[in-house]
Amino acid sequence: MTTTTKGITALLAAGLVTGLAATALAGEIRIGVTMRMVSENGQKYGQMVVDEFDMINKAGGINGHTLDVTLLNDECKSDKGVANANKLIFQEKIHLLVGSTCSSVSLPIVDVTAKTKVPQIIPHSTNEKITQKGSAWVFRVPVSGRYYAGVNAKYVGENIGKKIAYLCAADAASQNDCEAMQAQMKSQFGAEAAYVAQVQEKEVDFRTHMQKIKSAGVDGIMIAALAETMARALVQSYEAGIPASVNRIGSSSASNSPVPAIAGDAAKGVFFTAAYAAADDRPIARLFNEMVRQRYGIHAPDHDFSQAYDLVRIVEIALGNADLKLDSANLAADRTAIRDAIANVKGYQGLASGPISFCAEATPQCRDGNRTAVLIAYTKGGKDYVTEVLARVTMPVDFGLK
Amino acid sequence: MDFDFTSLFAFILFGLTIGVVYGIVALGISLIYSGLDIVHFAHGEIYMFGAFFGLVFSEHMGVPYPLAILSAMVCTGLLGIVIERVFYRRLTRAGGGYTVAGMGMIICGFGMSVVLQNIAYLSWGADAEPFPVDLGEPFQFGDISLPKSYGLTAVIALLLMAVLHFFLKKTKIGLAVRAVAANKDIAFLMGINVPLMISLIFGLACALAAAAGVLIGPMQSVQVEMGYLMLMKAFAAAVVGGFGSLPGAIVGGLLVGIFENLGAAYISPNHKDIYAFLLLILVLMVRPSGLFGVEVRVKA
Repeated sequence: MTTTTKGITALLAAGLVTGLAATALAGEIRIGVTMRMVSENGQKYGQMVVDEFDMINKAGGINGHTLDVTLLNDECKSDKGVANANKLIFQEKIHLLVGSTCSSVSLPIVDVTAKTKVPQIIPHSTNEKITQKGSAWVFRVPVSGRYYAGVNAKYVGENIGKKIAYLCAADAASQNDCEAMQAQMKSQFGAEAAYVAQVQEKEVDFRTHMQKIKSAGVDGIMIAALAETMARALVQSYEAGIPASVNRIGSSSASNSPVPAIAGDAAKGVFFTAAYAAADDRPIARLFNEMVRQRYGIHAPDHDFSQAYDLVRIVEIALGNADLKLDSANLAADRTAIRDAIANVKGYQGLASGPISFCAEATPQCRDGNRTAVLIAYTKGGKDYVTEVLARVTMPVDFGLK
Repeated sequence: MDFDFTSLFAFILFGLTIGVVYGIVALGISLIYSGLDIVHFAHGEIYMFGAFFGLVFSEHMGVPYPLAILSAMVCTGLLGIVIERVFYRRLTRAGGGYTVAGMGMIICGFGMSVVLQNIAYLSWGADAEPFPVDLGEPFQFGDISLPKSYGLTAVIALLLMAVLHFFLKKTKIGLAVRAVAANKDIAFLMGINVPLMISLIFGLACALAAAAGVLIGPMQSVQVEMGYLMLMKAFAAAVVGGFGSLPGAIVGGLLVGIFENLGAAYISPNHKDIYAFLLLILVLMVRPSGLFGVEVRVKA
C-alpha cells in the first residue's frame, strides 16, 4: 500500500468513526450530574437520579429521544465541582447540568453555567446567594435558605424564646443558615444573638462553646453544620450539662440521617426546617418512602432524596415541552430551549410540600421554585429514628429579599 | 464573658483532656522522628485506622472497651510494622532528614495517607459511625460536667506514657531503641538489630496513635476523614514541645489543648483551631527548637 493510499484509508476510517459517533450522539439529550457522593446517602441519591432517568429511557425516552446521563462525584469540593461542570460542558457537550448538592459547590458552578449558557438545575443547595447572582441559567428545586430562616425564626421567637446561641460551621450552607436566622430573629423580634461562634467543619471539641452557652442561660441553641459535625455538637451539648429544656435547633442538614444515627438520644427534640418529611402521610410520600426503602435500603428518606426525585420529574416535564433539534449545530439553541422550558414549569406538585414554579426572569423570585418549608422534629434518635411534622409554611415570594 | 474561676477551671480541664489525646498522637510522631529521622505524614490515617479497629472490636465483636483499646493497638502496631517494612524501609535505608531519600519519605508519607484513606473508605464506607461507650453518669465539679470518657482518656493516656517511659528507660530493648534513635551506625556496631528496632519503633508509634483513636471515638464519631485535623494538632504539639522530644510531645499536646480552649473562651470563639498554630508560631519565635527540643541536627 502506498503512502497516499494509506493516508486516504486513514482519513476514510476517521471519517467513518466520527460519523458513527455523531450518529450515536444525535437524538440523545445529554444530561450531566455532579453531586456529593462521599456518604452512603449521597451515593444512593446519586444512583436514584441515574435510575430514574434510566426508567424514562426504558419507557421510550422523551419525545423519542433517549437521555444520556453522566454522573460525577464532586465530593462537596468547589474545585472538583467546577472541574466536573467544565468537563461535562466542554467534553460531554451536555444540554443540561444537574447539581450540585452543596452550596459551596453550586455557587461557583452558577458562574460557569452563566458564562457558557448551559441550563443548571440544583437539587439540594440552599444558600440564598445562588439565585441572587442574576444568572438566567439557574433553577433551584430545594427551598432557599431565606425561606427556611423565616419559618425557623417565627417558630423559635413565638414558641421557644428570643435568647438564642449560634454555632455555625464554616461551609457555605451553614454560614448562610446561621446568618439568615440571626437576621430574621432581629427583624421579626428585635433579638440579638446571645452567643455566636464560627467552628471548623470536622471540629472535634465543642465543650468550651457549650460551657459558655450554658453560662449564658439561653432559650435555644442553633447548630448550623453538616451532619456529622452537628451530631457531635448535639451530643456534647448534653455532656456539658445543658438541659433538654434548652431547645436544639438544627440547620436544614439536620434532616440528613447521620444526624439522628450518630447523635442517638441527643437528636430527640431537635427541630429543623426541610423540604420533605418522611413522616408525610400523603399517598405519594408513602409510595416514595417504600420505593426508597426497597430499592436503596434507606429507613426514612430525607429531603435530599425527595428533591432529587422531584428534580427528575421537573426535568422530564420540561424536556417533554422543549422543541429540541439535538444535533451539534443546534447545541446552543437546544440549551436555550431547555432553559425556557424549565422556566415554564408552573405548579408542579410532587414530593415537596408545596407547588414548585419557575418563571423567566433571572431573579430569586423566579428561580427559587419551592417556597414551602416543613418544620420537623425528631421524636426518637438512633438509626431507627422517628420524626414528626410540626408545621408546613409557604412563604411569600419576596420574603427575605432586601 | 465575665471572668470567673469556675469557668477558667472548666476551660483548662477541657484543654487538658483533649490535650492528652493530641499528646499521644504527637508522641508517636516524635518517636518516629527520633528513631527514623522522618516526619510521618500518614500518622493521621494510622490514628483513623486505630479508631476503626477499636470500633470493630468494641461494637461489632462485643469486646469490652479496655480490651478493644489493646486489640486495636496491637492490630495497628502490626499494620505499622508492615507499612514500614514493605514501603518505607528502602527509603529509610538510604537516609532520612535532609537527604533525597528523606524528601522521598515525606512524599511517600503523603501517598500512604491517600492510600490508607481509600482502603478505609472501601472497607468501612464514608459515613461517620457512632462509637457509643456507656461509662455512666459524668463527673460533676460544681457547675462543670465532665463525661467519664474524658477522665478515662486522661488516665489511659498517662498510663500509656508511664509504660512507654518504663519500656524506654528500664528495659534492654528500650535501651536498644534509644541507641538506634541516637545513632544507627554505632548501634549496629554494638550488635543491635537496627532494622528490627526500627520496626519496633514504628509499630509502637502506630499503636499509640491507635490508642488515641479509640479513646476519642466515643467523644465523636469515627470516620475516614478524622485523621487530618488530629494530625495538624499533633504536629503543632510535637513542634511546640520540640520535634523528637518525647516528654516535649506530651507537654506540647497539653499546651495546645489548653491554649486553644482558653483562646476560644477569652479571645474569640471563632475558629479555635487557629490558636494551636498561633501557639506554635509564638513558641518558634522564642525558641525555634521547641520547648524541650535540642539544637536541630542536620543529617546528610
